[in-house]
Amino acid sequence: MLDGILVGLSTAASPINILMVAIGCFAGTFIGMLPGLGPISAIALMIPITYGFEPATGLILMAGVYYGAIFGGSTSSILINAPGVAGTVATAFDGYPMAKQGHAGKALAIAAYSSFSGGTIAALFLLVAAPSLAVVSLAFQSTDYFALMVLGLTAVAAFAGRGKVLKALIMTVLGLMLSTVGTDETQGMQRFTFGILDLIDGISFLLLAMATFALSEALMSVLRPKTPEEAAREKDANASLGSMRLNKEEVREMVPVIGRSSILGFFVGVLPGAGATIASFLAYGMEQRIAGPIKGKLFGHGSIRGLAAPETANNAACSGSFVPLLTLGIPGSGTTAIMLGALISYGVQPGPRLFTDNPEVFWSVIISMYLGNVILLVLNLPLIPYIARVLALPHTVLVPMILFFSLIGVYFVTFNTFDIQLMVIFAVGAMVLRLLDMPMAPMLLGFILGGMMEENLRRALIISNDSWAFVWERPLTASILAIAVLILVVPMLTPMLSRLMARRREAAGEGG
Amino acid sequence: MLTRDRIGALLMLAFSIGYGVMIFRIPLLPFQMNDAFTARSMPQALAILGCVLSLVVLFKPMSENDRTENARWRDAMKRLSRPIAGQGFPLMRVIVLCVLMVLYGLTVRPFGFLISTSLFLIAGMLVLGERRLLMVLLSSVGIVVFFWVLMTQFLGVYIAPLPEILADMIGG
Repeated sequence: MLDGILVGLSTAASPINILMVAIGCFAGTFIGMLPGLGPISAIALMIPITYGFEPATGLILMAGVYYGAIFGGSTSSILINAPGVAGTVATAFDGYPMAKQGHAGKALAIAAYSSFSGGTIAALFLLVAAPSLAVVSLAFQSTDYFALMVLGLTAVAAFAGRGKVLKALIMTVLGLMLSTVGTDETQGMQRFTFGILDLIDGISFLLLAMATFALSEALMSVLRPKTPEEAAREKDANASLGSMRLNKEEVREMVPVIGRSSILGFFVGVLPGAGATIASFLAYGMEQRIAGPIKGKLFGHGSIRGLAAPETANNAACSGSFVPLLTLGIPGSGTTAIMLGALISYGVQPGPRLFTDNPEVFWSVIISMYLGNVILLVLNLPLIPYIARVLALPHTVLVPMILFFSLIGVYFVTFNTFDIQLMVIFAVGAMVLRLLDMPMAPMLLGFILGGMMEENLRRALIISNDSWAFVWERPLTASILAIAVLILVVPMLTPMLSRLMARRREAAGEGG
Repeated sequence: MLTRDRIGALLMLAFSIGYGVMIFRIPLLPFQMNDAFTARSMPQALAILGCVLSLVVLFKPMSENDRTENARWRDAMKRLSRPIAGQGFPLMRVIVLCVLMVLYGLTVRPFGFLISTSLFLIAGMLVLGERRLLMVLLSSVGIVVFFWVLMTQFLGVYIAPLPEILADMIGG
């Protein structure tokens, strides 16, 4: 393991890679700060630029973009109460009130220190957890992989939030359906190509991600223009940030919160489907309860703990979400799904073999996460007053630029103008779905896992002589599938059960 | 009542049925017909799953919370079709932007990268209501040239800068 860490360190610490982390963090912060554009769009926009790079360098840049985008999202949450991503919604609860009280600089500093600590502590966990899981996962067979993918997809739907589970499932199925377009891998048959030559290779992952995220997010921002109130807030954001210094007492208050939230965030991040959003809300809720009645009342009015907890947890969860990606090759969220897409486009197949076959990629990603956190703290925090000016850039100029970068990013890969037309079709479809409040991340996850799922299922059936018995005969497969069923069914049954209980209680009350 | 969720479910149902019908067009060789897992297996499972899930959403009884949320959604949708003071119709702008993107796709080859992209950016900015012409021209042409130099000179990606006819004339 020590050899691996050293290999990773020497790869990640090469001047070009450090430069890439810095560029990634910077670009990520810039894109993440634009309200409406999240890390998925940020990463998608950067993929075409990294095609010519070494896999390790490309991935290091991506990790930087990822962290930068999350940090950028926090900044817009704090300054203008417009979280770019769901993962930073909880940040706005206390960050924005703090900024309104004139302590925007302090709030940004707390966010940066918490993100740094959360990310660093989680990177240390990752250092231990990932290799051990990678060793265990070598024993996994196709049937287990199939089951794990089912688990990943159902978990994303199950954690989609109240009332959204069914919609998330529908979107997952839609993603899986889109993944079947093109030539079937083993039998070589064309499926759903309508005789169009450009579809024989299937739909490109980058095209779908760019169209359904970057393009449609930019178009949605045109559809829902800023209210005069929001525009005023954006203008105010740049007026004065105030001091960024923290006093001893504030630091003392933050430290235990950071410790607890990092651990919570990391473990929530490792779970498939959960990710940064749930981690940040859980940490916020936990700290509010721990703070007690007096300090707990400050939550929502600019509490330091209330800001530090979600910020720490969302960064820790981001690191945690790399565990299943790097060790099993299975992404647990939309963002790691797009990372997987990027990895595959560099010719690297994540999974248990990555650890043995490409140790430099495996370790340098982990090390670069740490580096990314350092750079965010050292470089981005002092530059925030300048980067925040991006919020003042006119949308009339920014939106056409984003559209251009999205279109050209895909066009430059294939030099096929059909792709541009296809992107417009997907972007319009995605906008309709967004207007209907359908979640897009499960679709992306379904799309990326679809091919792998079919492949593993087919292999599993071949190994077991066309018999489905593997589902219940192999204990590991059976237990993973059982968990998948449970996490899907339990949240659906709980409201029904509680309604039933309430009705019974009512009946009993009436009777008595 | 046709709510937000039910419209989504109806769309998905229609898509799943269409997808299901298309499965019969996937060719299978005679010896593949009896395989346990063919190129049609996964699509069949997905089509059924898509139909079942959309039907569940379609026939799910509405809660009070759903009703209020749906009313709010309807208001938001109505607002989309109304003009906003000083900004015109947002929906119209999106449609024009989509048309511009399609046109960009059609012109990027015959007109060359520099001209078509500059035109696309200028038109996009004008559609979104930017009226400072100097800024529109400077920012769009500046970005296009910068990007072209970056890609061709530093990242080694060749992009034909000029229209095909002009390039033919110069080259030929």
